[in-house]
Amino acid sequence: MTTTLTQRYIDATIRTIPLPAQDDVRAELEASIFDAIEARVEQGEDRPAAERAVLTELGDPAALAAGFADRPLHLIGPKYYLSWWRLLKLLLYIVPACVFGAVALGQTLADAPLGTVIGQSIVAGMGTVLHLCFWVTIVFVVIERTGADAGVRWDVDQLPEPRQVGTSRTDLIAGVLILALSAGAILWDQFRGFARLEGQSLPILHAGIWPWIMVLIALQALFTVMLYVRGRWSPAFAVGNTVLALLFMSLVLTALGRALLFNPEFLHTLQAVSGMSGETLRILAVLLVFGVIGVSLWSIIDGWIKQRRSAR
Amino acid sequence: MSSEFEAHLQELRRGTIVLASLRMLRTAGYGYRLLQELEHRGLRTDANTLYPLLRRMEKQGYLTSEWNTDEARPRKFYRTSSEGIRLAEALDGEWAALTRALASITDHPLTDEEH
Repeated sequence: MTTTLTQRYIDATIRTIPLPAQDDVRAELEASIFDAIEARVEQGEDRPAAERAVLTELGDPAALAAGFADRPLHLIGPKYYLSWWRLLKLLLYIVPACVFGAVALGQTLADAPLGTVIGQSIVAGMGTVLHLCFWVTIVFVVIERTGADAGVRWDVDQLPEPRQVGTSRTDLIAGVLILALSAGAILWDQFRGFARLEGQSLPILHAGIWPWIMVLIALQALFTVMLYVRGRWSPAFAVGNTVLALLFMSLVLTALGRALLFNPEFLHTLQAVSGMSGETLRILAVLLVFGVIGVSLWSIIDGWIKQRRSAR
Repeated sequence: MSSEFEAHLQELRRGTIVLASLRMLRTAGYGYRLLQELEHRGLRTDANTLYPLLRRMEKQGYLTSEWNTDEARPRKFYRTSSEGIRLAEALDGEWAALTRALASITDHPLTDEEH
């Protein structure tokens, strides 16, 4: 009998096709394979060789079963590939950075040593990348197999906007306006006092720091105007932008570290009035540090992105 | 067979097996017989393509099937249904239209007025 190999082949094939069709497919395959072997034997081949040849020609039983069961032989096909890739890219841009920042913030607030903060944040960020890739892909693999409609259609409105390479008048006005308002606020703070605690007005910022901040604001304003006059970003501007951001960052952080950022009288009164503990102030300081670093880094990156775009 | 153009040839041949099967199975036949007959007429196809295709066309209602147990080995016989004949006519029409279109291109390549 020509059983063993053929039988094993058929078993392997029908194992993964839906149960109701299994017997039918088995009987039909048996007949087809038998016919093919007979045809070869009639041509003078010996039976075992003929059986081997026929089964080899039929190929991988899993592929044949996929044909019978109408299953795709890919994880994600062309119908869903772009949706999958776009969603994954979007999530990878946003989520790991947020997780990294959140863990770093949490660890810092918990007073962990710097090494732990960095290590834990990196581990959490990398873990998030893995999870995102895995789960998003799994969902799309399921969608591919259930044939569900992902509900994503492309239309012309999704075409990318032409990217602005030059600098606009709006940028100039908005930039200078914000700087002017900041400068005004600082002056007001110093000479009239922003905080009103227990009936007295107190400046929030330390008397020694505000002139330096004013200098930075002036430099930033100069930078904004020069950028507008020049009309486009260049490597020099990106470097200048980076220097300004680093100056701002180091000024604020250094002043904070040396207790030169806030008016000590204001802090004392605040503590006395609100009953905040030193721990609360420390947490606020950590939040401020993260905020300053985040804003500065973003400003630096933004400058280089704009520089690259206008270089094209 | 020249392997140089194999990918393109295969691309062109894909789909003709459906039409060929629909035409051939106006008289009932079983899988291996059809495979041989197609090869005999110059439409070589792989068994692992044809067998799933037959079942799919049956599921879609273009073929009907019947087990014949008269012989020593029971065989599943397929026959083109009336719906299958309509599909074959539609495919025939398309095939003829494609042939005409390609012929007209061969006779008159890109005309100059497009410049």
